[in-house]
Amino acid sequence: MENIGINVPLLIAFLINFGILFVLLVVFGYKPILKMLDQRQAKIRESMEQADLIREQTAKSEEQMKAHLDAARKDGQSIIAQAAQIGEKLKEEAREGARKEASMVIERARVEIDRDRDKAIEGLRGEFADIAIMAAEKVINESLDKKKHQKLIDEVLEESKTFKK
Amino acid sequence: MSKKPGCSTPILIAGLVFFAMFIFAFLFGPLGSKLFGLNVPEWMAVSKPEIQLKSEAVAHISWFTITNTLIASWLTIIVLGTFFYFATRKMKLIPGRLQNFAEVIIEILLNFASSVGEKHARMLLPLLATIFLYVVTNAYLALFPFFDGTIYIVEPNGFHAPIIRAANTDINLPLSLAIVSFLYAEIQGLRTHGLFRYLNSFFQAGKLREGFAYLFKGKIKPALGSLTFGFINLFIGVLEVIGHLVRLVSFTFRLFGNMTAGVILLSAVTFLVPFIAAIPFYGLEMLVGLVQAMIFGGLTMVFSAMAMTSHDIAH
Repeated sequence: MENIGINVPLLIAFLINFGILFVLLVVFGYKPILKMLDQRQAKIRESMEQADLIREQTAKSEEQMKAHLDAARKDGQSIIAQAAQIGEKLKEEAREGARKEASMVIERARVEIDRDRDKAIEGLRGEFADIAIMAAEKVINESLDKKKHQKLIDEVLEESKTFKK
Repeated sequence: MSKKPGCSTPILIAGLVFFAMFIFAFLFGPLGSKLFGLNVPEWMAVSKPEIQLKSEAVAHISWFTITNTLIASWLTIIVLGTFFYFATRKMKLIPGRLQNFAEVIIEILLNFASSVGEKHARMLLPLLATIFLYVVTNAYLALFPFFDGTIYIVEPNGFHAPIIRAANTDINLPLSLAIVSFLYAEIQGLRTHGLFRYLNSFFQAGKLREGFAYLFKGKIKPALGSLTFGFINLFIGVLEVIGHLVRLVSFTFRLFGNMTAGVILLSAVTFLVPFIAAIPFYGLEMLVGLVQAMIFGGLTMVFSAMAMTSHDIAH
């Protein structure tokens, strides 16, 4: 044993050295480093979880946006369709109104024309009766009773009126 | 740099110079001069290595002798302590280079501990890492030129004692580590299992007790069988205890032998072929130092983990 140098005080010194080194490394090495590793791990996990959360939220909001867009598009389309419908209706109404107006105007005109014509005929008839009476007077020279004549003429005219019609 | 390796001019010149130095050293060094009968030039004579297993005394403080290996181990402690002190002085979440380096070392060791000790990794780490760092730093520092022979003190009897010598080459250091490792493993075993169960894991006294129970009941035949097994177990237990104690010796001499052999190899090569030739052996010694440190730390951990897990499964 003496030959290879086993020496109890030296052995104890080395044991003490190892103890000192152990304490030094625990205090300055393992404790702070393990703490830091744990801290970093926690931090990374937290960050990743956060990232996941954000990704999830983004996906959700994107979906929501999509849904909103879809809804808006649908709304827009329905509004356009409605507008077109309303426009069509309005056009139809306008056309209808115009048609009615036109027919009313035509009707009125026709009534007017009828009235004018009747008036004219009336006038003519009176004039014609007078002329006829005058002519007849001239022809027969008061041979006939005026009243009788008038009656005769009226009858004739009535007949002719029915003819005409 | 040209694309073909070895064709770059600076490298070629350096290679040629190295080769010439190697040839020169080989021819005129002790090896070549013996072979070819040349004389060793005065300026390149390396003193013949004197192999001494005992560490040399450097100073005496009353009854205590400070040896050169003790000084080397202090140096190791100072180097490691300073490194970790500065590396972890201002810990940051985003590490700087020094902090990162320290973290990498510890993390590799922690992973190693996890692969062996699993859930005990955090508990095993301090001892594993301290042994590893201590041994590897001792080994690597010993490769520096100021170790083993550049700085001497002359003892009264005319003996030249290097003032600093590779700490691992002093048997007291491997022995101290082996004692720590052994005690740690056994204490962990005792702590996890309790004294009785831990001792029982060696001797497996169950069969013996069973045998005696049969004997008292008067059943001779099963009693004989159980007693035989019981005594075999007892014998195995004795072997087991010896096996545990032998770990001390194997731990000690593995490290001591490897490291001492390394130092002797280096000094022998340096003596025989003074230049260049020793460089590959320095590389080898770096590998050996790392491997020995890993083995010492790893085996400590394995034995501790084994002591802590159930022995009934282990045997």
